Amino acid sequence: MSIKFFRIVQCAFWRMGSITDDEVIRKRLLIDGDGAGDDRRINVLMKSFTKWCHSNFSPEEGFSQYQRMLTSLAQCEFSMGKTLLVYDMNLKEMENYEAIYADIERSITSAHEKIAECKKEIQRAKRIRKNRQEYDALARVIKQHPDRHETLKQLEALDRELQQLSHIKENVEDKLELRKKQFHVLLTTIQELQQTLENDEKMESDDTQESSMENGD
Amino acid sequence: MGPVELLHMSVFSQSFSPCGRFLAAGNNYGEIAVFSLSAALSPDASQASQKPILNFTAHDGPVFSLLSTDTHLLSAGNGEISAWSWAELIKKSTKAAWTRKPSYETSLEIPEINAMIINPKDNSLIVGGGDNNIHIMDMETGIFKSVLKGHTDYIHCLCFKEREEEILSGGEDGAVRIWDSRTNRPVHCIEVFKYEECARPQFGKWISCLATDSDWMLCGGGPSLSLWHLRSMSPTSVFPLPGCQREAVFYQDLIMSVGEGPHVSHCLHGGTVKAQIPCTPSSLNTLALNLKNTEHRVMTVGGSSHQIDVFTNFSYRAFSLSF
Repeated sequence: MSIKFFRIVQCAFWRMGSITDDEVIRKRLLIDGDGAGDDRRINVLMKSFTKWCHSNFSPEEGFSQYQRMLTSLAQCEFSMGKTLLVYDMNLKEMENYEAIYADIERSITSAHEKIAECKKEIQRAKRIRKNRQEYDALARVIKQHPDRHETLKQLEALDRELQQLSHIKENVEDKLELRKKQFHVLLTTIQELQQTLENDEKMESDDTQESSMENGD
Repeated sequence: MGPVELLHMSVFSQSFSPCGRFLAAGNNYGEIAVFSLSAALSPDASQASQKPILNFTAHDGPVFSLLSTDTHLLSAGNGEISAWSWAELIKKSTKAAWTRKPSYETSLEIPEINAMIINPKDNSLIVGGGDNNIHIMDMETGIFKSVLKGHTDYIHCLCFKEREEEILSGGEDGAVRIWDSRTNRPVHCIEVFKYEECARPQFGKWISCLATDSDWMLCGGGPSLSLWHLRSMSPTSVFPLPGCQREAVFYQDLIMSVGEGPHVSHCLHGGTVKAQIPCTPSSLNTLALNLKNTEHRVMTVGGSSHQIDVFTNFSYRAFSLSF
């Protein structure tokens, strides 16, 4: 990326033409030769370490350079630790989100199931309501008719009356028969008597006729 | 179709396709329009998707009755029944599969056909119309095999009881007659206007809507809409709806009915009117529920307007299809 930047700046300076290439290259490399941020720190550390190993510093300078390198190293370690923590955090967040996602999926399916259940419930309730309504309608009609017990009682009373009356009728008929028979007996006796009387009269008149005929002869 | 004609249009009948994705509607000019429900209900529906995908003239007179079988759409107008294949209609071809006429006694006037139902048990078509008789046609052979005579005035509506295989018919003479479909003999005759609680002499005695749900029957028209228990042949609830009801259906625990007045009435079996949902036409002639398809489960109503209201949630009007 630094090379690209360098190239762009190089183009710009070519236009200008006043500053030489070497100057530009030197300037760029000085500012941005090591890369950006952490990368740069590591590169700088490496370079200063090699420089420190190879060159002859006075002890104080060498020591200060050594201190500087240690701080730089510490900074690098710190930044690395930070990145590792961030990475861990991202992983954990991902897991968390996955868990929430799965949870929501489950609750969606359970909500669907509950909806289906409720729909079935509604159908059942509607059927029940319809049955109740039909029952009520029929009950209303039935209520309009008189009570069964009462009608039965009335029927029983009528039955008893009927029985009584037929009993009476039987009695009366029996009496009638009896009287008829008695009258019949009476009438036949009278007729027989009449017959006997007539016979007697006839016999008497025959007798007198015979006696008068005998006398006349 | 000019604006004056649109103004005077009335929708008399509706029917959903067997797949449940199309709606056919018939109007008083003899036209049948096929609407695509999947287009109208899709999220990106536009003004154009509320227009019919196919609009053709099916009969000379008004199309009073539409009925869908598994493959065909049957339409009835002035005395003739035409069948159109749904597959062909979806492909926009308007050639009728067949056209038949029941045998009428007089050939002078051709009576209109007001109601058609299918008897699924023996695959026969039952039609009732202006000649006071019910004709039964076998769907496979096309022969009109029997005639049920009994009504003294024209028949408005027909209904079929699956369990006992009985046909119910309601007519202008105020009688609801129950016929046994196997022996073709009349079983019962209920004269609704003779019952004090239902009768409304100011409107007349005609019965224009019939619906049945196993042991229960709804009937209405001139007399108030009433719920009858068929086993005991007695009216159990009378609904206090002001106008004359032209169509009523049982749906889950509700009774929905349409008639005079720009609303759909939701009622409970007990006799209370739960809700009245307003609609665009000023009076409604037909109500249809699309129960075959769970995705497009809608209710559509049509009446004295060129618009057909569509209800996705039965409690409010979602949008209107327009002829």
